Amino acid sequence: MNVGRLFWRTPTGAMLWEIWGRNKANFLWQAAALAAGFFFVGCNEHGASRDASANWAAAAFSCFLLAYLHLLVCCGYFEVDARTMQLSYPRRLLFKPVSTARLALMPMFLGGIITLSSFLIWTELVLRHWVNFTPSGLIWISAVQLSFFWWIQALAWSFPFPMGRLFVLIVMGIIHFLVWHMAQTRADAWSGWHWPILFALLLSALSVAWLGLKLMRRGKWESPSRISLFWTRWTYTAAQGRRQQFRSALAAQFWLEWRRQGLLLPAVSGGVACLFIAVAFLFRKISGTAGQSGDPEMAASLITFFVLPTLAVPLILSALLAPLMASFDRFHSTGELPVYIAVRPMSNGGLVLAKLAMALATSALTCFVTAAACLCLVLPEKGILFSKAGLVTPFGPVGFMTGCVPVLLLLVIWTWKNLVAGIGAGLTGRTWISVAFSLGTLYVVNFGPFLLVDTARTNVNFREVLLHWLTTILIACLAAKITLSITAFVLGVRRNAITARAVGWMAGGWLVCGLFVAGFAGHVCNEIHKPDVWIWAGLGGFLILPLTDLAIAPLALAWNRHR
Amino acid sequence: MKFPSPSSAEAVIAVSGLSRHFGAKAALNDVSMFVSRGSVLGLVGENGAGKTTLIKHLLGSLKAQAGSVRVFGLDPVLDPVGVLGRVGYLSERRDLPGWMRVDEFMRYTQAFYPGWDEHYAAQLLEQFQLDPAQKIKTLSQGQQAKIGLLTALAYRPELLILDEPSSGLDPVVRRDILEAIIRIVAEEGRTVLFSSHLLDEVERVADHVVMLQHGRVVLNGRTEDVRGEHISAVLAFAEPLAKAPVLAGAHAVTGFGSEWRVLFGGSHLELEAAAALIGARVVEERTPTLDEILVARAGGKGS
Repeated sequence: MNVGRLFWRTPTGAMLWEIWGRNKANFLWQAAALAAGFFFVGCNEHGASRDASANWAAAAFSCFLLAYLHLLVCCGYFEVDARTMQLSYPRRLLFKPVSTARLALMPMFLGGIITLSSFLIWTELVLRHWVNFTPSGLIWISAVQLSFFWWIQALAWSFPFPMGRLFVLIVMGIIHFLVWHMAQTRADAWSGWHWPILFALLLSALSVAWLGLKLMRRGKWESPSRISLFWTRWTYTAAQGRRQQFRSALAAQFWLEWRRQGLLLPAVSGGVACLFIAVAFLFRKISGTAGQSGDPEMAASLITFFVLPTLAVPLILSALLAPLMASFDRFHSTGELPVYIAVRPMSNGGLVLAKLAMALATSALTCFVTAAACLCLVLPEKGILFSKAGLVTPFGPVGFMTGCVPVLLLLVIWTWKNLVAGIGAGLTGRTWISVAFSLGTLYVVNFGPFLLVDTARTNVNFREVLLHWLTTILIACLAAKITLSITAFVLGVRRNAITARAVGWMAGGWLVCGLFVAGFAGHVCNEIHKPDVWIWAGLGGFLILPLTDLAIAPLALAWNRHR
Repeated sequence: MKFPSPSSAEAVIAVSGLSRHFGAKAALNDVSMFVSRGSVLGLVGENGAGKTTLIKHLLGSLKAQAGSVRVFGLDPVLDPVGVLGRVGYLSERRDLPGWMRVDEFMRYTQAFYPGWDEHYAAQLLEQFQLDPAQKIKTLSQGQQAKIGLLTALAYRPELLILDEPSSGLDPVVRRDILEAIIRIVAEEGRTVLFSSHLLDEVERVADHVVMLQHGRVVLNGRTEDVRGEHISAVLAFAEPLAKAPVLAGAHAVTGFGSEWRVLFGGSHLELEAAAALIGARVVEERTPTLDEILVARAGGKGS
């Protein structure tokens, strides 16, 4: 009797096989990431300098981490429900003659075993020896990670209401972090307690998954909730009086884009900013200086730990959310255009313009929210900021606030740039292009200049050569960028993918923003008494602002729309 | 009767030598067809015959690998705005924005079509008994087909393309949709192309029919002509036969013993001559339905 073959015919075997069957292509990507990681490890071992060694190690670490996180997703047993377009348990399995407990527990145990063993192997064989990363309490970290992984599975499979799911997930993430952190840093006080708490978390994850699937099997969440029905009816009634037709097709498309993802970035940025405000409030309370404006150290800490991170939030989040920008329907399962958009009589350039306009509107709103949050953060310390810290004294409060406007504009432009960079790759609707572009951006565009600067820092000769040629290099890059963009625009116009007017908007916008960034850079260089670097900052500004991406986007969309 | 020639100014759709491969599989193979203004064309064929692929070419969602596609004399890939502004389309896949309310979807769609008839849209909304305050994702499959049809009809397109409009729908909704199509044809004389494998629908509505099989056009003509060119007959043999007789011109032969039913492509005289050659006589004959022709063509000549 062939026991191995019989095993694959059992429900457990079939479920295990599905992880492999569903993710064969994904495993190839992981293999590629691992190969890249090993390549960087190899670079590290072959006589790299101390600084370069740290960079290679960081690159290797990020590759391994990427592969590992991807493995977690593959083993999660998630599937996008074709009906609701939300992450869910594979619905077809609910109709198999298998108990709910087995449906819930098998994927959890299988996924847990695969990911945990990978994590342990990775840590022991790779990180500990090659990248010199030695996590303490490996078993404890693995157990906490398993618990969080199970919670992700339990919530993603069956928990209704996407926003509620996200909220519970964040809460569970914080709880797991606290459990891990307290056990690491308060080992004495927590001695004997951390394991029971973790077991409770593990058991509750299993229970939530089991109960969720049981309710799902009974069709408990098939119909919309009463709250959802009430909300839909209320918004319909409220909009009755003021409903108007859209002024144009572009306005309608902008509305669709805005409704899909316009509020996502402002909401998430606002949420994080609120968190910062709350923590800053607690910080003041704990420091005992609440209401005592006038402590310069407090003002400096406030700016370093809260205001600057708050300003960085839109930039970081916009870079993270950029892949969503290319999708027309966040919940659409494939990269293809939804039919209801593909058959509308609108040019590809028009569809792209609506996206760019929405990105600009959402960036502006996000930065407005961020500015408001910064104001809330600095108001309690306004006395010291405006008088004693010397930061704004030369300009006075009004001058300072006026001076903030260009900074805010710069923030808007930068956020917008992050959102739309890569839109061309995303609009092709081909996953492999998007992934290749993301990796290319990560390792070539970001890591390349970083390596260049790092080498220049340690190697004097190289630095001198680089500084001598830097202006030429930047001008050559800019010329290449403009040539590529013009070629793409001409192709787009010839192929009817974009109108000359849209080209004017895109190129004009780029020029205006570029001039603004260059002017701003010039002003800053002048203020810090380094006018000779102005040309580099200005050229860098023009280079960073997306133009080729925008020029390629209509062609990329045409390639997706007319396959 | 054949369709108008490619040079005809009346041709709303002109497809010539269209081929499309997906990997090694030929989805369309040298397809040519012409649809004249005001006609109702039924595109029929079994699943996977290439109906949806052909329709996607007409909408510009797929680019011709060989041959040419013209709709209103325009290339739908090079001029999507020019073509799509005059075409109403109902997809087999009810790919609708589930998060929108019915009224929002109507308002959104309206913005793209200057010819949107609000009065007609309201009339269809009432006729289809759709609640404008309801979210699309909460609608039943039949209701989703209706809102799809409503937004395809409300701007009175010159060409209506319906891809399996009644797929997966109950008889009541199918009737509603068919009646809407019939009304458009009867009252406004618009051009309609609809694909279906429910051939009773096609017989009821279409005046022309194109049958696809494995990506090739195997039948192309007026519905009545297509039916008239086939005969469903019963052949009687003097002695029982152990296996199906081979009859020249027959698309399908079924039965056993001494009586065999054949679906014959040709005239009455040709059938009698062919039957005589194999020692049989025709004991019964009638005009077959489109359904029988499709099954015979698709199923081959087995017994």
